[in-house]
Amino acid sequence: MFNLLRMDLYRVKRSKSLYICFLLLMLATVLVYGMMWLLETPKGQEISLRIGMITPQEAAEAGSILDGIDSLGFFRQISLDGGMYNLIFGIWVMLFVCADFQSGFIKNIMAMHQNRWNYIGSKVMTTWIVDGCYLGGHFLFALLMNRLFGNLVPYAGWEDAAFYLSWVWFVTAAFASLIIFICVLTRSVAAGSLAAVLLGGGPVVMTLYKIMDMFHMGDWLEYSIYLTCAMGPQRYVSVKDLYVYAVGFGFLILYSMLAGIVLKKKDI
Amino acid sequence: MSTQGVDKLAIETRALTKLYKDKAAVRNVALRIREGEVYGFIGRNGAGKSTTLKMLGGLAYPTQGEIRLFGRPVSDAAVRRRLGVLIEAAGLYPHMTARQNVVMKARCMGLTDESSVDAVLEVTGLTDAGRKKVKHFSMGMKQRLGVALALLGNPDLLLLDEPINGLDPEGIREIRQLIGKLHEEGKTILISSHILGELSKIATNYGIIKDGEMIEQLTREELEEKCQDYFQIEVRDAGRALALIEGTFPGVQAEVSDSGSVRMFGAVDGAAVNQMLVENRIAVYASGFHHMDLEEYFLDRMEGGRQYV
Repeated sequence: MFNLLRMDLYRVKRSKSLYICFLLLMLATVLVYGMMWLLETPKGQEISLRIGMITPQEAAEAGSILDGIDSLGFFRQISLDGGMYNLIFGIWVMLFVCADFQSGFIKNIMAMHQNRWNYIGSKVMTTWIVDGCYLGGHFLFALLMNRLFGNLVPYAGWEDAAFYLSWVWFVTAAFASLIIFICVLTRSVAAGSLAAVLLGGGPVVMTLYKIMDMFHMGDWLEYSIYLTCAMGPQRYVSVKDLYVYAVGFGFLILYSMLAGIVLKKKDI
Repeated sequence: MSTQGVDKLAIETRALTKLYKDKAAVRNVALRIREGEVYGFIGRNGAGKSTTLKMLGGLAYPTQGEIRLFGRPVSDAAVRRRLGVLIEAAGLYPHMTARQNVVMKARCMGLTDESSVDAVLEVTGLTDAGRKKVKHFSMGMKQRLGVALALLGNPDLLLLDEPINGLDPEGIREIRQLIGKLHEEGKTILISSHILGELSKIATNYGIIKDGEMIEQLTREELEEKCQDYFQIEVRDAGRALALIEGTFPGVQAEVSDSGSVRMFGAVDGAAVNQMLVENRIAVYASGFHHMDLEEYFLDRMEGGRQYV
């Protein structure tokens, strides 16, 4: 499996999609910070009023948008709460996994590795490593933007940041394993893209949530990947907050197992 | 031919069967390929060649039957390291260079020394193209790179499915020479190709598969024995000519071929046959002796024509 991991990391470093997806995350962060700067700061509001972006009344109301939000809270609102991170990261995972099947290189791999679990293990580990780099890099970039835009929000404590990023890493890695499973099952870029958009962006979970909520069962979906990302704890308060690790780990194992079973059953 | 390990089997399958739903792509195939052989695997499109190769390469699971490579189960990791595979189109990442693709395969195999990467690129004539992205490659170059990937790790057994597809005549010659060189080194090569003329230049053994079933396995010597010379005449009325020949020359075995000409096997006096037909007012347009090659033999076996065996 570690030979495959070495191979995957070699390809990751040379794939444009890795950098393009990260660039999209950074671009979105710059846009949100820029927008907030225009709405929140006196100098920004002056420009916004001059170009007719907002009215004086809106300017007065906008001044309180970031009240009570720290750098971590703002980061999760930009990145994870709305599903943007999972959407972009999911697309990268789809491109990464589907490339094996689209190019046919999977034949070279499977001719050597009869144990299909090696393949799944390598893919899960590679996406987990990239996920960690994306989350860490994106968070640091958000802090840099906060600094460049004049400290729009106060900085969160490092313990909170470490707790939040560690569980989010688990949960988003579980999302990656879901995309791996779908790609292994369908071997289609179109299906993988659709899954990344519908599952990462939240339309499927939110629709299900509304339907199940009519039967008073909506709470169940709070343990889904999407809603855990959106509603999970930002700081550690009690042992109960650790449920997010269980959610991440549970789904990671479940989808990795399903991907492995599908790969074992299907011919290449 | 190398005599090294002549009695040891590199590939052995027993009752190998692959069903897709209810349809058998391969049925009860029993392959026996000795170490050091170049085995030409022949069959029409859809006959089951690629499916058989995929099962040998570990890319498809047999529905029934057993595969043993070098006497060990196909799933054995040690055996897989002795195997090089090129099945259907070469699987390559188009946005990576030729060298990067080979490095990827090397890492997949756990090879740490990259000198083997340059060695296989050199052997396949791709040293200069190593830095070029695969998406800019011609089909022939991709096929060469596929062969390079198969050769990585110096495998003892090569499974090559249509390796000369898309190659220009020079490329075909180079691959043929390469296979010849590998054969001299004692490697076992299972090669499928529709270019039977080329295959007959390199194969030491043949297997013919039809509708998923192995209909014949024979050595080059056996094939040469069966591909006997024949005398062929082109006439206006082949049916009447055949009847006259059979009546006049009872020792001659004759048949009407698909093209409407009459073929005669065994000791034939061509001049006497021509004279007899002309005397019987049958116009002879052309006549001559021919040697049946692998292609003709294969087509004959496919059509279920004259029985040689």
